[in-house]
Amino acid sequence: MTHQALSLLAELTYRCNLQCPYCYNPLDLRAYADELAEDDWLRVIDQAAALGVLQIHFSGGEPTLRADLLVALVRRARQRELYSNLITQGTFLDDALLGKLVAAGLDHVQISVQGAHAPLADAIAGTAVHERKVAALARVLQTGLAVTLNCVLHRANIDEVADIIALAEQLGIRRLELANAQLYGWAFRNRAGLLPSREQVAAAAETVASAQARLRERMEIVYVLADYYERYPKPCMHGWGQRFMTVAPDGRVLPCPAAAAIAQLSFENVRDRSLADIWEHSRSFNAYRGMSWMPEPCRSCDRRAIDFGGCRCQAFLLTGDARATDPACTLSPHHALIEHAIADPGAATGAERLVPRRA
Amino acid sequence: MGGEQSIPAFSRGVRLRRVDDSRTVLLVPEGIVNLNAPAAATLSLLDGARTCDDIAAALSARFSSEPAAIAADVRELIGRLAAKGWVVLRTASR
Repeated sequence: MTHQALSLLAELTYRCNLQCPYCYNPLDLRAYADELAEDDWLRVIDQAAALGVLQIHFSGGEPTLRADLLVALVRRARQRELYSNLITQGTFLDDALLGKLVAAGLDHVQISVQGAHAPLADAIAGTAVHERKVAALARVLQTGLAVTLNCVLHRANIDEVADIIALAEQLGIRRLELANAQLYGWAFRNRAGLLPSREQVAAAAETVASAQARLRERMEIVYVLADYYERYPKPCMHGWGQRFMTVAPDGRVLPCPAAAAIAQLSFENVRDRSLADIWEHSRSFNAYRGMSWMPEPCRSCDRRAIDFGGCRCQAFLLTGDARATDPACTLSPHHALIEHAIADPGAATGAERLVPRRA
Repeated sequence: MGGEQSIPAFSRGVRLRRVDDSRTVLLVPEGIVNLNAPAAATLSLLDGARTCDDIAAALSARFSSEPAAIAADVRELIGRLAAKGWVVLRTASR
């Protein structure tokens, strides 16, 4: 395996006007209040392009809360031939901002909804935004920009996945991402309320598969699996330090957006070192790079080059050791942790028990 | 799909990027597709004006393969990308 940085996630801020309980952002949001300035981000983009990065994803938090900065960064990304993607919840995407982003050369927008219908979607978001999001989606589609509609699935909304697909169809969406909640940050805090049942996951998978077949010519549906219910772990980040990096709002560079939770590691900052130096030489990026760090059962496993031992952040959250085999793997000696979480996900259902994310 | 008179062009949100002499990729929504040399040569000729036949003819002038085989390969590749929504086809008006 040779590592080559291809994709950079630029988290411009962790602030957000929504309070989705499935957010993967860290619990200590206030620790990121010292946000990078425009000059820092422009330097990051220049250094990323020089390092061979081809795509940049602007996210957060809600990146449009830094609208002026965002437009300048999209323009710089285009100048450096980077493909730019805006990952937003859409509530601030008015015609003026859209016009500026298109003129700056934005390539793609991913907009999220929290469900198919307002009452539940608004309850999950913690504020009445669903109708504004649908209106924003229609405006974005009118500009001709490439759009992905995203919906994170969990126990409270996974049963209405057919309605979410219908909403996408009705809007004329060409690409829909249905992502089972990945349990990091706030989502891990809310795991008991978010984990769907095995029956819910099976029913949703069947609904999605039949929609994929029915809509093949009109809509691509990307389905992100619920790894707690899979036999093998996800090939997280295509391997640690192989393709992806994240720059957090305070300038720390992370091999995975959830990596700051790994207490065993500390992370370098773009305010102090160049991106190339951090990517190539930092202790954090080299900690789980390649395969030589792997313990058993990964070390001798035929699948080690397929899933890279799964997710380091999940291994740390569940076992306290980021080197451990991802417990989502049925071969992991810690797999009982997953089985236990599934068997006893918490008595109550619905959104009301979930803790909304807040600073 | 990809017939003689259709003119292929990249969809919005899809860009061809020549990284260096030996590597060209297709940048697509939230993904990067590595292209082999024949695919890169074919897609570098998509300009929204050339028909699939024009592209095949231009490739035949550069490569030694049988022209009919090249034309079939072009139609197959364009058809596959159109099915993914990465290329749109319009009918030539000539």
